[in-house]
Order: sequence, then C-alpha cells, then structure tokens
Amino acid sequence: MPLKTLKQDTAETLTLEWVLHVRNYKLTLNKNLCVGCEICALACPKEAIRLEKQPKALGVKAKHAKIDIDLEKCNFCGICDILCPYGAIKVTVTGEHILSVVEKESFPELIRDIQVDTSKCPVDCVECEEACPLDLIKITQLTADGKFVENIDSLTEKEKTGLQIKIDIEKERCPCCRICEFNCPKGVLQVRKFIHGKISIRPEKCPEGCTDCLDVCPILGALYLSDEDEQVHVNEMFCIYCGTCKVVCPVDEALELKRTMVNHTPVHSGAWNKALERLTSPVEMTKELKTKGSLKARESVRKRLGWKGK
Amino acid sequence: MAEEEIQKKSKTEAPRIGVFVCECGSNIQSMMDVEDLTRYAKTLPNVVYAEHMNYPCSRQGQEKIIDAIKKRGLNRVVVAGCSPRIYEAIFRRCVSRASLNPWLFEMANIREFSFYCHQKTPEEAAKKAKDIMKMAVAKARLLEPLQPIELPVTKKVMVIGGGIAGISAALDLADMGFKVYLVEKTETIGGHMALLDKTFPTLDCSICIEGPKMVDVGRHPNIEIISYADILKVDGYAGNFKVKIQKNPRYIIAANCTGCGECRDACPIEYPNPADMKLGVRKAISVPFDQAVPLIYTINKDYCIECYKCVDACGARQAINFDQKPEEVEVNVGAIIVAIGYDMYNPEDMECYGYGKYENVFTALEFERLILAAGPTAGKVIRASDGQKPHSVAFLQCVGSRDINRYEYCTSFCCMYTLKHAVMLKEKYKDDVQVYVFYNDMRSNFKGYEEFFNRAQKSGVNFIRVKLENRRITEDAETKNLVVYAETEDGKPVKAETEMAVLANAAVPVQNATELAEILKIPVGTNGFFVECQPKIRPNETDTPGIFLAGACQGLKDIPFTVAHGSGAAAQAASILGKSKWIVEPLVARVNEDLCSGCGICESVCSYDAVRIEEIGGKNLAKVTEGLCRGCGICGGACPVGAITMPHYTSEQVVAQVRAVLEEVK
Ligand SMILES: Cc1cc2nc3c(=O)[nH]c(=O)nc-3n(C[C@H](O)[C@H](O)[C@H](O)COP(=O)(O)OP(=O)(O)OC[C@H]3O[C@@H](n4cnc5c(N)ncnc54)[C@H](O)[C@@H]3O)c2cc1C
Ligand code: SF4
Ligand code: SF4
Repeated sequence: MPLKTLKQDTAETLTLEWVLHVRNYKLTLNKNLCVGCEICALACPKEAIRLEKQPKALGVKAKHAKIDIDLEKCNFCGICDILCPYGAIKVTVTGEHILSVVEKESFPELIRDIQVDTSKCPVDCVECEEACPLDLIKITQLTADGKFVENIDSLTEKEKTGLQIKIDIEKERCPCCRICEFNCPKGVLQVRKFIHGKISIRPEKCPEGCTDCLDVCPILGALYLSDEDEQVHVNEMFCIYCGTCKVVCPVDEALELKRTMVNHTPVHSGAWNKALERLTSPVEMTKELKTKGSLKARESVRKRLGWKGK
Repeated sequence: MAEEEIQKKSKTEAPRIGVFVCECGSNIQSMMDVEDLTRYAKTLPNVVYAEHMNYPCSRQGQEKIIDAIKKRGLNRVVVAGCSPRIYEAIFRRCVSRASLNPWLFEMANIREFSFYCHQKTPEEAAKKAKDIMKMAVAKARLLEPLQPIELPVTKKVMVIGGGIAGISAALDLADMGFKVYLVEKTETIGGHMALLDKTFPTLDCSICIEGPKMVDVGRHPNIEIISYADILKVDGYAGNFKVKIQKNPRYIIAANCTGCGECRDACPIEYPNPADMKLGVRKAISVPFDQAVPLIYTINKDYCIECYKCVDACGARQAINFDQKPEEVEVNVGAIIVAIGYDMYNPEDMECYGYGKYENVFTALEFERLILAAGPTAGKVIRASDGQKPHSVAFLQCVGSRDINRYEYCTSFCCMYTLKHAVMLKEKYKDDVQVYVFYNDMRSNFKGYEEFFNRAQKSGVNFIRVKLENRRITEDAETKNLVVYAETEDGKPVKAETEMAVLANAAVPVQNATELAEILKIPVGTNGFFVECQPKIRPNETDTPGIFLAGACQGLKDIPFTVAHGSGAAAQAASILGKSKWIVEPLVARVNEDLCSGCGICESVCSYDAVRIEEIGGKNLAKVTEGLCRGCGICGGACPVGAITMPHYTSEQVVAQVRAVLEEVK
C-alpha cells in the first residue's frame, strides 16, 4: 500500500493524516474548541498553519478567525498541540498521544500551574464551576465512604459536614485565565498564567461602535464594554494574551498585545527559541524574522550554543 | 568538374581504381550476375582493375585486395557489396596494410540499396547496382588522402549512477589504475539492489553481496564518490570532457561526520522513508539505510524543525552546519559511463488492480521491503489493514509491462523475482500460506532460472496461466480480503480469494533521464531508455564517442547481466583511457579562413557546439573544435560563402556522384 496523505475538513473537525504501512500520524483540530487565536500559527516551525479571517456582516457579531493547515507542510511534530492554550489540537502516532518532541526534549511543555486545596471548600459552593468561561470545572461531593452525592439538598446539615469536595479541572484545555481563582470566596484555587504579557486598547483609535475584539474574546471578563464611554476596555487580570482579539481588530494601533514570557518546562531547543521569538514579538516582526531566515537562525545558534560553523 | 580538371587535379598521381564486386554469399549473386557487374566496372573511367569475389571481407579476400593493390599499382579501391556500417573500417585497415592511405577507399552498397529493397525487380536492381558502383567510382576519382586527428586523453573517468552497474564499472576501472568519479544522485550508492532482500536464483542476501562492494568503492584510493549530487553540464569530447557537478547540501560537514548516528537518536522528527517505499519512516537527520556508503548523515530540511538537538548530540565533532549551501565542482575526465538504472511505474492509475485504494494490494518492491528482516516490519509479511500475516497471497505478473497502452516491453526480471517471492513465502510459512501466480509467460531463460522455476513448482506454488487483459481485483469492504479475477487463454474465468496481492509493476526509465540525455547529448529511444550504438555488437557504446552505457538504463536487465554490462562499459572506457592519444577520424569540418566572413551562421546551426566564432588575428573567424565535430556537414551547407568543407564529402565529390547517376538516366 503506498503512503496515503489525507486531509478531511468537516464542520466539527479538521484532520490531517499520513497513513503508512507501519504507522499512522494524525492531527485533529477540534473546531468547537479552536478560538482562532494566533498561537499555533506563530509557533509552527513549518509555517503550515494559516489564519483565515472571517468576513464580517454589518450588525452581527464578529467571528473569530479559522485556521487551515497545509498537509504538504505539516510534519506532525505536535508543537501546535503543545502550545494551544485551549487544547484544540491533538497529534497522535498510531492512536497514541505521545509527542516525540517532548520525549526528546526538543520542545517544552506549557506549565499549567493550578493549585487546589479543597479542604477549604464550603460544601455547597459551586462558584468556580459557574465562573469558568470554558466550562472546564466539575465539582463533586463525596461522602466519607467515597460515595458520590446526587442531591446535596437532600442531606441533613450533619451529613453535610462529613462530605469531601472534589474539583476536577480539564487541565489540557485550561488557558489559566484565573477567573475561578478570583471568584472563589475561600482562596481554594491558585492559578498561575502560562503566558504573561501586556495588552492595551486605545479607545480613541477604535472605529465607532466597534466591539469586534470583545465579540471574539473566549475569556468572558477579559474585555468589557464600559458603561461610561461605551467602548471596549481590558481587564488585564484575566487576559491570557492568546491574541484572538488582535487577529480580528480592524484597525492598526487600536489594540496592542505583547507577550513577554511563557511558563514552560526547562528545555534547550532551537525550535523553542524560535517559537518564543515569534510569539513574543508582534506579527510584523515575525514576518521580518522569517525573511531574514537562515542568517538569523545561524546567529541565534551561535549565541545560544556557542557553536562555531565555518 | 570537367574531365580535364580531374586529370589535372590528380596530375601527380592519376587515379588507378580497383573495383572488387562481392557475391555476398548467396545474397547478391542469387539475383544479379556479379560477373556482369564486374565487367561493367571495368568500363568506368580510371578503373584499371575489377574482380568478381565472394567475401572480400574474409581474410583471404583482404589478402587478394592487398595483392591487387601491389601488383596493379592501384591507388584507389572500391568494394561493391554490403553496408559500410560494419565493414568500411575493416577495408580501410586492409588498404592501409598495402600502404595506401585508408581514405582512398570507397564502398558501394549494392546489397542494402539494391538487392534487399528490389527483390521483385531483379533487372532494375542490377541496373541500380551499376549506378551505385558508378557513383562510388566517380567519388573515388576525387578522393584525397587524409590524416587522422590525434587528441590528448585525460586518464580519469566519471561514472554517473551508483547502482550495481555503476559500482561494477567503477571498481573495474579503479583497479586498472584510473581515477574514477562516481556521481550518485541520492545520499548513498547501492541503487535498487541495496533495497532487495534476497536475489534469484540462489536466494542469497542482496546487501550481503552488494554491501562489501559498496564498502570497496568507498575505500578504494582511486574512487571519489560524489553523492547527493546533480550533473549540471558536460562539455568536451572523448578524451577531454569537462563536467560541472552540483553537490547538494546535506547540512553535515562530511569530513567531521563519523556516522555514529547519535544525532539520529536525538532527533524527534520522522518522515516516510523513500528507501522503504514509504512503508516505514526515517528521522529528519539520518541515513536511508544502515549500510549507506558514504556513511554521512543528511538533514532533510523539509521536515526538520531546527531544534538543534542533533547539534547537541554531535557535540565536539561539530559535523552539523545548517548554513551549508549547494557547491559546484568541476572535473575533467576522458570518458563517461552512464548507469542511472530505472524507476518503478506507479500502478495507481490502473484502477482494475485497486493499488492505492485497497490496503492489501502491494507492489513488488514494497513486498521486498516487507519481507526484508531489516525492513520496516522487521521481516514480517503483514497486511496493512490489520497487521496480520496473510494466509494466501496472489502475485499478478506484467502490470504495466507488455501492455501496448502503457509499456510495450517486457520488464524482464519480474517473472524471476516473483518466483523468488513465491518460493520465499512457501519456504518460510509452508502450508500456512497459499500462493497463486497469475502469469502469462514464465520467462526463466538464463542460467539456473528454469531450475528455479521447477523449485517454485515443487514448493507448491499455484501457477495460473491467464490472459493479461481482463484481470481485476475486488475487495471485501469488511474483511479487506481480495478476489482476483482473470481469464484463461481459452477464455475460461478463474478467480482466487486471497488476503494479499502483489503487483509485478513495470520498471520504467528514470524520471529525469531525458534531461541527462540532453546534457550528455546522447539519444533516448521511444521507450525512454538510452540508445546504444548498435544493439547486438556495440551494446555499451552511445553515438557519442567516449560516453558509454551500463546496466538497466540501456534496457532492463537483472543483476548478473547488469554486472557484466557494467564491466563491459568499463573495458570500453579503458580502451580510450589507456591510449596516450585519442584518434579521431579526419571527417571534421574545415574552414577556409580566406573565405570566412565570421557571420556566425555555422555556429547557430551546429547541434554539437563544435564550431564557434573566435577572434583570430584581429578577424572574426569560424573555428572548429575537432573533438566535438561529428562531421554532419550542416555548417557546410549553411555557410553562405562556401567557406566550410567536409573532407571526404566535399562538394566536388558529391556533385560528381550526382552527375554520374544522372548521366545513366539520359
Ligand atoms: C522488486 C524487484 C526485485 C528484484 N530482484 C532481483 C533479484 O532477485 N535478482 C536480480 O538479478 N535482479 C533483481 N531485480 C533487478 C535489479 O534491481 C536490477 O537488475 C539492478 O538493480 C539494475 O542495476 P542498475 O545499477 O542498472 O540500476 P539501479 O539499481 O536502478 O541503480 C541506478 C543508480 O543510479 C542513480 N541515479 C539515477 N539517476 C541519476 C542521475 N541523474 N544522476 C546520478 N545518479 C543517478 C540511482 O539513484 C541509483 O543509485 C529486482 C528488481 C525489482 C524491482
Ligand atoms: S553528524 Fe555527528 S552525531 Fe550525527 S552521525 Fe555524524 S558525527 Fe555522529
Ligand atoms: S534540528 Fe532537525 S534534524 Fe536536528 S534534531 Fe532537531 S528536528 Fe532533528
């Protein structure tokens, strides 16, 4: 059987595949989870991912950009999978989610630092579960002997005191926006963002009545419409600097987004350094780096590894 | 030219022509009266002697000619008989043994031009034979002695293609003491043979035979392998070729790479390995297979993510250089051997076989990689659909070959490798596997091959003789089993249900063979393979002196024949390289500098770049490179002022021939 390279695009998913006799490489993009941020497109070392802005009709909310992946260029390295803040991309080899770039320490993993101390939880509190903008938190109560409580209201107060609280977070999909942490009355949750940066909006530059950025922001509360001036403002506390807003913003200079740091496992890798360079610099700069290409790469190898090529 | 002029021209030596008319066994004599032709010859101007002979080409015949030259004081000789293609050279040597300049000889081809083509009209044929002889004599009267041209010889050779053909040729020449540049397109030498498991009819391991030879090539002090390279340009002529080669970047500094493979182990990226027919994978930094020669790693930048893990792994050896650029090198060689082998036809377009559609249909080379212990499945023959060993396998012969709509020729080695595959399956899995071969003819016609066919039959392989047309394969969508349908020669339908099918797909000319042919200026046949000078007795030579063919690129051959052909090409090349001077026939264009106006028309019409305008003594003049000129005469015809003559085919000589034949008509 000859090598088959397949690409399938449905309403729900985009899948790319190499089917070899001995192995099967597969990339699946879950379109319901993708928010159209620019992280994967910036990070892909093969420049295989393209963002497609969606046309905007008058009077309707803006739609986030869609991504398309070039089967000719993709080599199933899984870097997009690693860096997607929303866990929208999975790369598997023969069905197993083992990423060689991680195993060989050729690319770091994001650190999703989420500390949970449920001992402080009030038994019937569901604040965090309700606050999570992506519905990733599930709270369950267990009796002392480990039984799952169906209906908490049916318990007596005494029974309630012996309950154990369990908070399940779908960590792989969590962008670490910290909204749960801020909504928790007891300080049970402690979340550290994995992307740090700076975002600002200059309302004077915004077209009148434009709320495109707010329309597409996946983190409810990171952007808001101010009652005072009826314009969009930032709540930097919750922004995860994914860039979904930046992609759709129709004018230059109205929205500025800069990533300054990514929290990741330690690694010594040229691919990561380059990804970081692209993630932390504005898009324009990224383009320039790409054109400078190998010269730049050579410079950076020299700096990073003290390697002296001829 | 007027009669007195001819007499004047040969004043110093009036032409004394001898004509020898050949019966050609029973050929010519069977139709015309050779004695009458001989009598006729005697009537022609300046003919002082004519003789009726049988086989002047034989040793005795040649002695008779020499005798006549000496006794009768002949200074021009005409043989009327067969085509000059083969015998002209022999007669030239013959007359020179009688101290006559070899260019004072002319042949009248009355066999091909008269006897062969006018079988039904013997009288007219005889008349035409006389005309042909008359023309030859007319030319002979004007022949001039010519001196051969001597050119220096570069005692180095280039072999293009490092398959078993190129390897054999390179080793032979290197052992003879010549410097060899072996230019290979891919990362390693070895060609197809390096990808095979076992070889028919002995079933010995392919890489175990070829591997040591590859190593010998790698170590030989006289061989320089230029791998991962393309031929850009070839200039020059036999004895003096100048070749421009591009070495493509491996991103590895060859001198520093020890071939340890630590980089490969560190690299996270895999891509489908063409050497495994893409059934398996290799790393972004790797070698195509472990026995690669030269053992230098290569980074495939199409897949590499530039993580530099390999740089870390390579460490102090510092063999990796991401900035490597293509490099051009130039070599001078005296001869070139072309050994670029073949490619495989992709049968996806023959929908009846379902290749590319049904998971368990394979090509022969894929099967070869499956059964190979060092292959992607570690030698397990398994189905693509479920990874299970098949209990029945069908082999279909002549897929694409012997098909007038695709490749009319027979690929020649598929019958034998199918027997090999069938025997290997049967001997490995015994009764646990049923093997069917849907064939039309079993071509097992060389040493030990028929015996191997018998071995296959005895091992329990089912041979089913069918028509090549109307075969098809269908698949059970659930079990992924296949059904092969065919028709016997007398039209009866046959079918077999099997768990795997293997197609003996045609071998075809290398994809860019035509491009290379253009660079080398050698002809390509209608079937896409390079054309030899003469299919029977000059199978290694091309029409371009100094360029030879070896192996499957000339026509498909199995390994034993390829090796012999490679050695043949080596011997032919050595016959040039071993000479101190390369002698060229003096049939090259001559420029009359007094007439030449330097207009450059000749330069624009020459297909061989043999004539160029150069400034000579402050004047633009046409200059002929003797080694390149093939004597075609196009420039002579195109020159508006008649400044170019073609020795031995001068205008006077040709016009005299035309006059002679027209006279007869009158
Ligand atoms: C499935 C299968 C099984 C077979 N089994 C057997 C067997 O058991 N026994 C047997 O006797 N024969 C067998 N054969 C036939 C055998 O493969 C050939 O006889 C042999 O490989 C021919 O050798 P070659 O050197 O002429 O060509 P190749 O092996 O094709 O080598 C040609 C070389 O030239 C290189 N090249 C191509 N183009 C260029 C270029 N432009 N510039 C520089 N280099 C170039 C190629 O990369 C290659 O290295 C089998 C063939 C197949 C398909
Ligand atoms: S490049 Fe370096 S690490 Fe790789 S095989 Fe060569 S020497 Fe070894
Ligand atoms: S830099 Fe490229 S070749 Fe080297 S280890 Fe990383 S992916 Fe592999």
